[in-house]
Amino acid sequence: MAISEVKSLVQALSKEYNSPNPDLAKCGQYLSKLKIALIELQYLTHEDRHNNIEELTLARDVLEIGAQWSVRTKDIPSFERYMAQLQTYYNDHRDLPPSPLEYNLIGLNLLCLLSQNRISDFHTALEMIDPEQLHNNPAIQHPIKLEQSLMEGSYNRVWSSRSDVPSKEYLFFIDILMDTIRNEIASCSEKAYTSLPLKDAGTLLFFTNMEDILNFAQERNWKVNPAEQKAYFHSDADEKISIPADQIIKQTMFYARDMDRIV
Amino acid sequence: MSEAPRRSTRLNKNQEEDSKGKAKAVDQDVEMEETPDAAAAAGSKSTVLGEKELEALVIADIKQHFALFTKSAKTHEARFAIRALRSVSSLRKRLTAQALARTIASSYGKDDEARKRLLGYLGPDVLSSITPADEVAVTKLETPEVDVYLHLLVMIYLLDQGQLEKGIELSNITVHMVQELNRRSLDQLAAKVYFYYSRFYELTGRLEEIRPTLLNAQRTATLRRDDDTQSTLINLLLRNYFHYNLYDQADKLVSKTAFPENATNNQLARYMYYLGRIKAIQLEYTESHQCLLQAVRKAPQNNVTAGFQQEANKLLIIVQLLMGEIPERSLFRQPMLRKPLAPYFQITQAVRIGDLNKFQETLATHSATFNADKNYTLILRLRHNVIKTGIRMISLSYSRISLRDVCLKLHLDSEEDAEYIVAKAIRDGVIDATIDHEKGFMRSKENVDIYSTNEPQHAFHQRIGFCLKLHNDSVKAMRFPLKTVNQDAAEVEAARDQERNLVQEIAEADEDMDEDHGEL
Repeated sequence: MAISEVKSLVQALSKEYNSPNPDLAKCGQYLSKLKIALIELQYLTHEDRHNNIEELTLARDVLEIGAQWSVRTKDIPSFERYMAQLQTYYNDHRDLPPSPLEYNLIGLNLLCLLSQNRISDFHTALEMIDPEQLHNNPAIQHPIKLEQSLMEGSYNRVWSSRSDVPSKEYLFFIDILMDTIRNEIASCSEKAYTSLPLKDAGTLLFFTNMEDILNFAQERNWKVNPAEQKAYFHSDADEKISIPADQIIKQTMFYARDMDRIV
Repeated sequence: MSEAPRRSTRLNKNQEEDSKGKAKAVDQDVEMEETPDAAAAAGSKSTVLGEKELEALVIADIKQHFALFTKSAKTHEARFAIRALRSVSSLRKRLTAQALARTIASSYGKDDEARKRLLGYLGPDVLSSITPADEVAVTKLETPEVDVYLHLLVMIYLLDQGQLEKGIELSNITVHMVQELNRRSLDQLAAKVYFYYSRFYELTGRLEEIRPTLLNAQRTATLRRDDDTQSTLINLLLRNYFHYNLYDQADKLVSKTAFPENATNNQLARYMYYLGRIKAIQLEYTESHQCLLQAVRKAPQNNVTAGFQQEANKLLIIVQLLMGEIPERSLFRQPMLRKPLAPYFQITQAVRIGDLNKFQETLATHSATFNADKNYTLILRLRHNVIKTGIRMISLSYSRISLRDVCLKLHLDSEEDAEYIVAKAIRDGVIDATIDHEKGFMRSKENVDIYSTNEPQHAFHQRIGFCLKLHNDSVKAMRFPLKTVNQDAAEVEAARDQERNLVQEIAEADEDMDEDHGEL
């Protein structure tokens, strides 16, 4: 496929994607066609095409739309693939004109890592971002603040962050994040309270109707007392402290072996 | 090798001290002859000596290094080459274009390509300083090591003069030369050559370009079991990745390579620092802490390495704080560290008392410093440690406190936030308490007796493990001179012969005895 054909395809794709009601299935078809075309143009192995800025920009645009499209179709593995390919364009081709979507997508990627609880990857990705952008770009600041609130335990703030997302693609990941948070809160509550009125549990967990609360309580094995409208958590006081015999034997054998070596 | 010229060249004793600090026990037999008094006397003499003499001494030094390299190549003993390279740092300060030119003139034949090339890099002015005497006394280069060494010296000279473009050209040629010559006796020199090669590119901001070359060289060095080059290259690559914040790739490199065990202390210290940083970013603070401690301890403690020690200590402080430990006060008092560590000291104070406002203030005032040190994101993570410490302090001092007061004390946004945060702290084991939701307070539980848990046993295990490892490492680190090993082997052989004779004699005696049985 010649470069002019690719160009017209890209135009068709971006027109479809940016329309108010994009046909996602159609975009998918365009994308798979474009990917084949790009492979023919060797967009992944462009060692000798280092200077062809036009082609590289084209390839980057396709990948960017692809990444956003993956979020819309809720396909996380595909999103991660697109992001991995885009990293080359963001890091190694600094001579390209900067993309307006770059930090938006990086922010999305951060959120994606966060929603899967991959904290160490999250921080590694954070280090790669230019410090200037790190402090000032709202798309980047959003996931950073989110991570801080998560680490502290200010789940309230995570919940309210839904309202001020930089772009609507963020919502998808925040929704995933909410499930994670609910489980976090539940596990904290189990340790922190001996009992909790069901209604308060509902507010803590951001549930609005009673049925959801009861279902959730059942899922986490809470003892619900219908008369009192309270949930009881099993306390860990009755857990037995076992003697770690296995571990101590291993350690003692280790000492013996090393002592033997010294003597 | 006569000792006379060597002794007389020890003028700049002060500079020599630096390299002497790193000297290994192997070379002590030579180094020990230098007493401080002699050094002082020599130092005063140097002011009397004129430029001419100094130049002659430099040349004599270089020539002596030539001999060491040749000896090293012939005997396959790396330590002679190491000894020569160790004194390069002292030689470096005395290096002049004239001295280099004269050495080059006396080392290569008149039409030698290398001679023209090297003299070209030194500039046209030096040609006049070559005396006919130098040209007459051309000693043919015995080994390629000497050739590479001369290239290295010119590279160092160019670096000191700030002639970076020329340096890049020459380093390209030299790296190519080293790769062509596949000689084990070149290993130590090759490591140095790669180091300066990378340095030139770093100073001109073109570090990206040499990554493939370094990776290739690293692969070759690994195949050849060339420990020196391997360790230098791994560090150079890590530095390269770090320069562009590519921690992901750095981590992959570390996981795919094995750092050679026999690497020198300096390289090991660097490697440990890089490793510590990677681990810190990946939130593996315990491992990071261990690596950084090693880095700080292995690094030579003198003024030359001040920069490294400052960097490593900065990171170490942050990692300690992230682990919930407070660094010792004495660390901040060391004269070499006091000033650069001042911002970190303030952060430490904020974390120690759990004051969120003070923490934010310090962060704002010193953000430029932290950014320059590339520690800003790490310090940001400390925020929740500050809160944790604050909660712990409250839990220790109050047996019962309302959530509202917690919120006020920690400067949090709302009571709900405080409830979540306290709940999380309880879950993470920071404090031992319960929350009464209906009445809105937090009640601390009684402190558990630590000696009824497995904690002391665990602490003992760690210490015993450390001592045993120390012992094993020191056994491994012992070195025996090769000669005595040979002698021992000969002795063993002799002893075995003796034994064999003895056995034979006994056997014969037995036979005799059998014959003479009657007499017993």
